[in-house]
Amino acid sequence: MKPAPFEYHRPSSLAEALELLADLPDAEPLAGNQSLSILMSNRLASPDHLVDINDLAELSYVAADGQSVEVGALVRHREVERSGTLADALPLFPEAAGKIAGPVVRNRGTVGGSLGEGDPAGNYPCVAAALDADLELASADGSRTVPAEDFFIATMFTDREEDELITGLAIPREPFPPARTGQTFLAVKEAAQTWPTLSAAGAVRVDDPAADEPVVEEARVALANAAEVPLRVREAESELAGEPLTDAALAAAGETAYEAVDPEEELHADETYKRELAREYTKRALTTAHDRAVA
Amino acid sequence: MAEHDITLTVNGNEQELTVESRTLLVHALRDELGYTGPNVGCESSMCGACTVHVDGKAVKSCTMLAVQADGTDVTTVEGLDQDGEFHPIQEAFQEEHGLQCGYCTPGMMMTAVDFLDDHDDPGREEIREALEGNLCRCTGYQNIVNAVETASNKMGGSGAAAGGDD
Ligand SMILES: Cc1cc2nc3c(=O)[nH]c(=O)nc-3n(C[C@H](O)[C@H](O)[C@H](O)COP(=O)(O)OP(=O)(O)OC[C@H]3O[C@@H](n4cnc5c(N)ncnc54)[C@H](O)[C@@H]3O)c2cc1C
Ligand code: FES
Ligand code: FES
Repeated sequence: MKPAPFEYHRPSSLAEALELLADLPDAEPLAGNQSLSILMSNRLASPDHLVDINDLAELSYVAADGQSVEVGALVRHREVERSGTLADALPLFPEAAGKIAGPVVRNRGTVGGSLGEGDPAGNYPCVAAALDADLELASADGSRTVPAEDFFIATMFTDREEDELITGLAIPREPFPPARTGQTFLAVKEAAQTWPTLSAAGAVRVDDPAADEPVVEEARVALANAAEVPLRVREAESELAGEPLTDAALAAAGETAYEAVDPEEELHADETYKRELAREYTKRALTTAHDRAVA
Repeated sequence: MAEHDITLTVNGNEQELTVESRTLLVHALRDELGYTGPNVGCESSMCGACTVHVDGKAVKSCTMLAVQADGTDVTTVEGLDQDGEFHPIQEAFQEEHGLQCGYCTPGMMMTAVDFLDDHDDPGREEIREALEGNLCRCTGYQNIVNAVETASNKMGGSGAAAGGDD
């Protein structure tokens, strides 16, 4: 089906884009159009105005210093996937990017679009929850920062105001020194093209990778498509922290995940199955992250 | 603002046209300009039948507005051959029986050419990953993978060198 008629605007700067979003009624940002086009073609969305942000080169950056890693909203999945900076600093991020659809979708889809649509099955929302990312939002009135855990409110519903753009996200590096940290992103998908039935982001930091029994200093795990929001499972994390990794701790972490999730049933995945996936993939993500930390 | 005068350079030919804001690139190419190579399968970024190159990169043309492509170079499957000579990917699909009904073929070839542009000597697993976003209901994919492998060999392990892409 054709999308309903709308007006198209193509600002060339962030300031201009924010003015348009402030002035135009019922305006929607347009980034990679890999999600919005589907909604509009099916008339599930019919905004009066589209504000195309693809020319805003200022939102297209990947930068890392000692403190944090910053990624602009207009960075494409393809660029995340191939970024050497991200592979060194936060390997979970490129791994998650590579598991989004096929390469042609990844040529267009963006970080900001994925965060902006607020799909609890999304890869980056899950990464953002696991890594304690801060989302940066801007409007004509100014800018603000929102922690990922507060940004995602419910399915397709976020803390973003209609006149705001996500400009990027910032992830603190202090918890993830590459030499002592392992990370992973695992997705359970029926086919490469489909959204995941469930995904798990994991990160583990140990005290000394060369030790006989490295102690887990900190563990992170977040699940996608397991609740209304990307779900950080803090109880599972604390099962691991402060001791060397044991099967008992992993099993306990898996059990907390089984209990913590609140999954929506799907055609091929009922609630029990999704809980079982949550248990199993919490364990796998933490094991893989740990193995990479000590490797 | 609901209508726009745009310029597209399709397979090297500069063309001016007027489109609605909501006109998808694939419809502008097919219905306005007569390039029926890109097919419409799903209109949802799933099947890949509509894949073309925009400024050298593979894009599903059902997810790009025509007005967004204003000023770009677009290559459709019709632009792959050079002076009547098939592009190696076209030869390879023919030799390896990489198609049956042919509906997916233009998209498969455009995706494969973009992939071979920056993969010199890909393995079969890499080829399969590259084609993840393109669905085929006929062939079972085996011969398509064979065709991309054969094309890579024909292109002398240097994807960018041969053929008429860009
Ligand atoms: C076949 C297929 C499979 C997919 N599988 C997965 C998957 O497994 N995992 C996954 O995570 N994703 C998946 N996706 C979605 C993909 O990641 C999309 O590209 C992404 O979710 C949307 O990004 P976009 O840049 O295309 O945004 P658009 O489609 O342009 O926009 C999406 C929404 O975000 C808003 N928006 C865009 N940019 C901003 C911004 N800077 N600030 C505020 N709001 C903004 C738009 O207004 C719109 O509401 C899949 C998509 C397809 C087509
Ligand atoms: S028609 Fe464009 S991806 Fe199917
Ligand atoms: S040859 Fe028929 S869909 Fe691929």
